[in-house]
Amino acid sequence: MSNAIIKTQGLEKTYSKSKVKTHALRGVDLEIPKGSFSCIVGPSGHGKSTLMQLLGGLDRPTKGTVFVGGTDISKLNDKQLSNLRGERIGFVFQFFNLLQNLTALENIQMAMMFQKASKEAQWERAFELLDLVGLADKAEAKPCELSGGQQQRVSIARSLANDPDILLMDEPTGNLDSKSEAEVLKHIFNIHKAGKTVSIVTHNNELAQRAELLFEIRDGKLKS
Amino acid sequence: MNIFKLVARNITRRKGRFIFTLLGITVGMASFVALLSLGGNMRGEMTKQAGSLGAQLIITPKNWCAYDQISILTGNSLPESLQQEVLDDVSAIEGITAVPYLTLGTSVNNQSVLLTGILPQEMKDFKGWEVEQGEWFSSQDERAVVLGSGIADPFELSVGDTVTIRGETLPVKAILQETGGNDDTSLYMPLSVAQELYEVEGFVSYLAAQVDDMSKMEEYEAAILGVANVAITSDKQLLSTVLSMLGSVNLTLQMIAMVSLIAAAFGIINTMMTAITERRREIGIMRAIGGNGNSIFKIFLIESGLYGLLGGIAGVALGLLASFFIAPMISESDFAAFLKGAEFEASFDPTLMGLSILFSIIISIGSGFYPAWRAAKLTPVEAITHE
Ligand SMILES: Nc1ncnc2c1ncn2[C@@H]1O[C@H](COP(=O)(O)OP(=O)(O)O)[C@@H](O)[C@H]1O
Ligand SMILES: [Mg+2]
Repeated sequence: MSNAIIKTQGLEKTYSKSKVKTHALRGVDLEIPKGSFSCIVGPSGHGKSTLMQLLGGLDRPTKGTVFVGGTDISKLNDKQLSNLRGERIGFVFQFFNLLQNLTALENIQMAMMFQKASKEAQWERAFELLDLVGLADKAEAKPCELSGGQQQRVSIARSLANDPDILLMDEPTGNLDSKSEAEVLKHIFNIHKAGKTVSIVTHNNELAQRAELLFEIRDGKLKS
Repeated sequence: MNIFKLVARNITRRKGRFIFTLLGITVGMASFVALLSLGGNMRGEMTKQAGSLGAQLIITPKNWCAYDQISILTGNSLPESLQQEVLDDVSAIEGITAVPYLTLGTSVNNQSVLLTGILPQEMKDFKGWEVEQGEWFSSQDERAVVLGSGIADPFELSVGDTVTIRGETLPVKAILQETGGNDDTSLYMPLSVAQELYEVEGFVSYLAAQVDDMSKMEEYEAAILGVANVAITSDKQLLSTVLSMLGSVNLTLQMIAMVSLIAAAFGIINTMMTAITERRREIGIMRAIGGNGNSIFKIFLIESGLYGLLGGIAGVALGLLASFFIAPMISESDFAAFLKGAEFEASFDPTLMGLSILFSIIISIGSGFYPAWRAAKLTPVEAITHE
């Protein structure tokens, strides 16, 4: 597919920190089309987070290649890869996405700081994004003053800070009650509608059914 | 948001740890600055004293050590171990004028003070002293005292009052004009009276001598050694001995300051390492949202450098404050008796203070290097998967 924004070839990842080697991924080939909404599902411990980290350039594969927008990201140095994450990819994780000593607003601004955005641009965009996720009134709140759902909404706002093409989310609602989850999902769907490529690791069947593409991971392999 | 705001938010996160780490570098810098400013002042003080000695040669008993020589410059009492006949022998040499000093300790109004036995007329000519108030001794064995200009006020004495020395009540005959040296802080009495009161007849502490022709110094020295079994030192030698001793004392004090600074540096390293472990997850988040290793390095290096800036400023202030308070105490205590002398002020040198703060920043940035490098080296995944 020519319009793939992310593409992997023979992706393998082996963790060998302890004496036991863990083959987290054993050869994954996938393509995520630009503007698509995809879900990665599968049992716990089968390699979903590992896959997501490799797709987003947070880690380097043991074998195989990841292409983002046609670039082989294994060829990038730390600075280039960090830039790629900052500019083209937005991440949302399950827990503790926010820096605890910064306000909601500052957490968003920080993402722009790394891309050297001006002070004015940081303020304007951060407020705009907080408003987008319905938290304009919580700009000065510290994470500990926010509910779990609100924290995830701030994280989503932050993931959009540098207007990335791709949003990678690892169980963004895994930790939330159903009401908060619905609220967070609403924002995720809106982001997709606005034209972003969204890929989510999830255990939520309803969400998985709404996905245009479903990747099921078992034992480090894609189940077709 | 910018890196400095981020650092400011981070550094005060654990208030206790922040304060104790800061105290470490503050105390280290304070002792460094206090010793530096005291040391600088000691040098100046001693050089001034050597200048006010008014003599080119000092004749002392043979067995004196450097410590005794220092007391000549600092105005402390010395053993009366030189036979007075030496004075006649030395004075007999053509081209040499010598005066004896008998330096003794006494107390007036329960405060210790230096008492110097002198030959009234010879000493006045030798030193060029002028009387401010009252009248100079009228005979070589008058039973009275004259005060240096710095004595009258603190001891609440004026001309016409009396002081009791060794049980004998003596009138204050005069107060001298200020000389700017140690001479201001002594009580004077005729040599023969002092010898009698202290039962050291026939002995003096040392002789100070002026020569007519400076270019014949070696010949004079040979002549003196020919007539008396004494040791001779020049004012310049004396000064350099004192300064080199001060130098080694300074070095010791500076070593102490260095040790406390090294301890402070380890305090910073420890605090930074702890902070990095605590914020590991946050480092991961920053990496995920686009921060590169360099940025992480900078963030932590600035954080530790900030300890140096704040601790340096606080330390310099505290050190100056301390040296202003400690200086007078040193002048009055027995601690290194050689420090005793004229009023002793801590010196304030803006350039030195600026350099001290810079030094503090360099130390703390140096301390932050390893922790910051460790933080920067964490891969995003290592940081993010840490719970
Ligand atoms: N940093 C790591 N070091 C060692 N083993 C890891 C690491 N991350 C994940 N694993 C292992 O790799 C396997 C896949 O983990 P993960 O990708 O987190 O699975 P999932 O997200 O599907 O639950 C698991 O067996 C897990 O224990
Ligand atoms: Mg997972």
